[in-house]
Amino acid sequence: MIEEIRNKAKELLETKTVDCVIGYEPATDNLTSRPVFIYEPSQVNRLIFDETCVHNLSKYLINRRYKPTGIVAKPCDTRGINLLLNEKQLRRENLFIIGVVCSGIRKVRFNQIENSMPTKCQYCSQHTPVIYDFLVGEPVTEAPTHNYSDITEIENMSPAQRKAFWSEHFDRCIRCYGCRQVCAGCYCYECFGDELDPLWVGIRIAPGENWVWNTVRAFHLSARCIACGECEHICPVNIPLMLVNRKLEKDTLHLFDFEPGIDTEIVPPFATYKKEDKLGTGE
Amino acid sequence: MTKVITKEDLLSWLRQLAEKYAIIAPVTSNGVTLYKSVGSSEIDKINLNFSKTELSPKNWFFPPSETLFTIVKDELPRIIPASVDREAILFGLRPCDAKGIALIDKAFLAEPADVFYQEKRDKTTLIGLACLSPCLECFCTSVGGGPADLTHLDILLTETAEGYITQATTEKGKQLLTGAPRQEKEIIPPVLPSLNLILAEGITELMPRVFNDAYWDRVADRCIHCNICAYVCPCCYCFDIRDYVSKGKIERVRSWESCQSPGFTRLAGGYDPRPTKGAHFRQRWYHKLLYFPPIFGDIKCTGCGRCVRSCPVNIDIREIITDVQRMKV
Amino acid sequence: MMSINPFIPYQATLKEVINLTPDIKLLNLELTVPELQNNFDYKPGQFAFLSAYGVGEAPFGFVSLAYRKSGIEFAVRRIGTVTAALHELEPGATIGLRGPFGNYFPLEDYKGKNIFIIGGGIGMAPLRPVINFILDHRAEYGNLLIINGARTPKDLVFANEFDTWAKAPRTQLELTVDKGDQNWKGREALVPAVVTELKPSPVNTIAITCGPPIMIRFTLAALKGLGFANNQIVTTLEQKMKCGMGKCARCNVGDKYVCKDGPVFTFEQISKFLEQY
Repeated sequence: MIEEIRNKAKELLETKTVDCVIGYEPATDNLTSRPVFIYEPSQVNRLIFDETCVHNLSKYLINRRYKPTGIVAKPCDTRGINLLLNEKQLRRENLFIIGVVCSGIRKVRFNQIENSMPTKCQYCSQHTPVIYDFLVGEPVTEAPTHNYSDITEIENMSPAQRKAFWSEHFDRCIRCYGCRQVCAGCYCYECFGDELDPLWVGIRIAPGENWVWNTVRAFHLSARCIACGECEHICPVNIPLMLVNRKLEKDTLHLFDFEPGIDTEIVPPFATYKKEDKLGTGE
Repeated sequence: MTKVITKEDLLSWLRQLAEKYAIIAPVTSNGVTLYKSVGSSEIDKINLNFSKTELSPKNWFFPPSETLFTIVKDELPRIIPASVDREAILFGLRPCDAKGIALIDKAFLAEPADVFYQEKRDKTTLIGLACLSPCLECFCTSVGGGPADLTHLDILLTETAEGYITQATTEKGKQLLTGAPRQEKEIIPPVLPSLNLILAEGITELMPRVFNDAYWDRVADRCIHCNICAYVCPCCYCFDIRDYVSKGKIERVRSWESCQSPGFTRLAGGYDPRPTKGAHFRQRWYHKLLYFPPIFGDIKCTGCGRCVRSCPVNIDIREIITDVQRMKV
Repeated sequence: MMSINPFIPYQATLKEVINLTPDIKLLNLELTVPELQNNFDYKPGQFAFLSAYGVGEAPFGFVSLAYRKSGIEFAVRRIGTVTAALHELEPGATIGLRGPFGNYFPLEDYKGKNIFIIGGGIGMAPLRPVINFILDHRAEYGNLLIINGARTPKDLVFANEFDTWAKAPRTQLELTVDKGDQNWKGREALVPAVVTELKPSPVNTIAITCGPPIMIRFTLAALKGLGFANNQIVTTLEQKMKCGMGKCARCNVGDKYVCKDGPVFTFEQISKFLEQY
């Protein structure tokens, strides 16, 4: 598998099809992996692919939108690429996608690999990349299933319980904006969190502002979050952000029959209006 | 003979101290260990066996946000400065984190002193816990610290099977310890762990030559420019100041800021003297390893390894130091 | 001079507002504490933070001279949230003032020298007290050459003082704009080109410049072309600042803090920074 990725990367760089391949290399703990930008064909042996390759690399494409770029992408990451293509943030002709068939990765932290899979993999039914130029692994033909049992508990809470639940988590947010910086869907030139005029959310790192930041950020990702789980994975204070994202994903599916990032052509529900949309006016 | 305090006595002493002092100690919940204020009835919640807290104890002196003053809008603005209400004990610091506070002291207590920081600093006693099982990413001994370094603490506790060895290094610490229920025991002090060494010595002299190297842009490729490294760091102290208005009251608020954030150097009108991501990225390392030392006498790193552990994309200060040392110019 | 808590501003009353250009106002302030009114000292080149309470504070160079005791003046260009709020204020309003901060132009050291002032747009603001100081001590300085440039004629600041400056002994005032209007009879040239055209001798001369970064860059090249050495060229740097005391680290450039080690630097000092300015 890794030889296929390295050979393809080498070919792309040698033929100057792309001038950079974004993939994974071993991290400094010699256990997990980290993103790497390969510019020279001689460097392709740094590339690896294994169950620790958690990062969604599609975010990096935004800064390289005008430069021909190769990228190693898992199925969930390819949904990120599709999201960006759909929202006209990338040029398809500048992309070479090395899609990798994936049956799930492991829960990892620096210096630590757990035996279990992250939540995003436990509920994932997309094992074949949704868009690719070159496929590594045998495509899996499997009807996608949707299982949202991970959010049943929070859905069954009373509003007061839910508020208490989120208060406890958001209170310890330090507004490092890691969730935003890692997210493929967060590419605003000026984020509402940074904007001063008008001031949407103050700089104060405190419960009220944290609540505004986390909820508005979630709303901006409704019908857009591709469930890669990176925000939750990197959160330094362990806020279960995927519970919000998964709820939005479920509602989007049920209300609009839409899954973000599956297709590049379908206009996303919040970018259009259809008479048959279930949340019409006064119905 | 060595003076020790048993775990039970330590906890009851803390319970007693909590009547007078605010106790700030490591507490684990929701999968993270953070320094929290614990009342006398919550002393049992203190985690005495944590490896490293997710956030550093700098939060106590330099909180994520604090109100510098409040203006009540009547006829003329009247400024009501913020102040600290009572003395505190910061319990369970690792020696590396105590050094982090000492590094912030250098900047914040330099003339003119930051009065908000100083007030909290003066009113707080630091009780440390020697680090007997450091994490794999720790490297305190490479930057002048050590797992039982008591230089920057008031009191250091070292765990043994017989209880905690107590050492007071300052007058403040000695005063506080007089009230602790201790026993004289024959104790074999524990063997201190040895840590992986990186050769950080001489790094300051090497930094100027590699300033314009493409290396910084290449590592910045991977950096996602979040603020995690700066916010988990025990000695990063950049900040922002803004005003808040609510209900006829204006508050001037100071909050953490990071050199990686997009508006860090951007001026009103949009001009940014440090415009590229590579330059933002480089500033972090140059401030820590080159700019801070000649002003304040030390590199701005405690070797706690938090940035290494929390970085989403494995930007590792140990690797940066060794890369710089290997770079040929 | 500094209050005990350097984060807490003095209160000042806005006495007078003068429109200098369509987007620059001159604010004249008086401190409300009587004891301070007569002994608040600051020097040309130093700066203070002005608070528009409820919006925030930002740093501005003093444009008045303390010893003239005619009020504390700042020239404020409307460019961001704080400056917009300051522009909204009317005489009588309360403004917070924190300062003075930073170093200053070493005008004592320049005695006996020719002074060449080169300002662009709002960059003239910190240079105005330098000019007025020299005019107040005219005999102690050599020739004074001033270039004041702006985008258009109506953007030239301190127009009501041009006559005084131009008529002072051994003083030459040269105005230039990027683009004139129908009434403009003067120069239409970029500031660096005027520097090259006027060819002042570098002998026993100090050039003091302030303006937008692009102007500074080309002015520096023009001065060097005339034979000015780096230690004869002085500027005042603009950087994002929040505290003014070398703490917030926003203005950190190399081992210097612009707020405390600057804002006034010679190009000899600036050339030692690793970062480009």
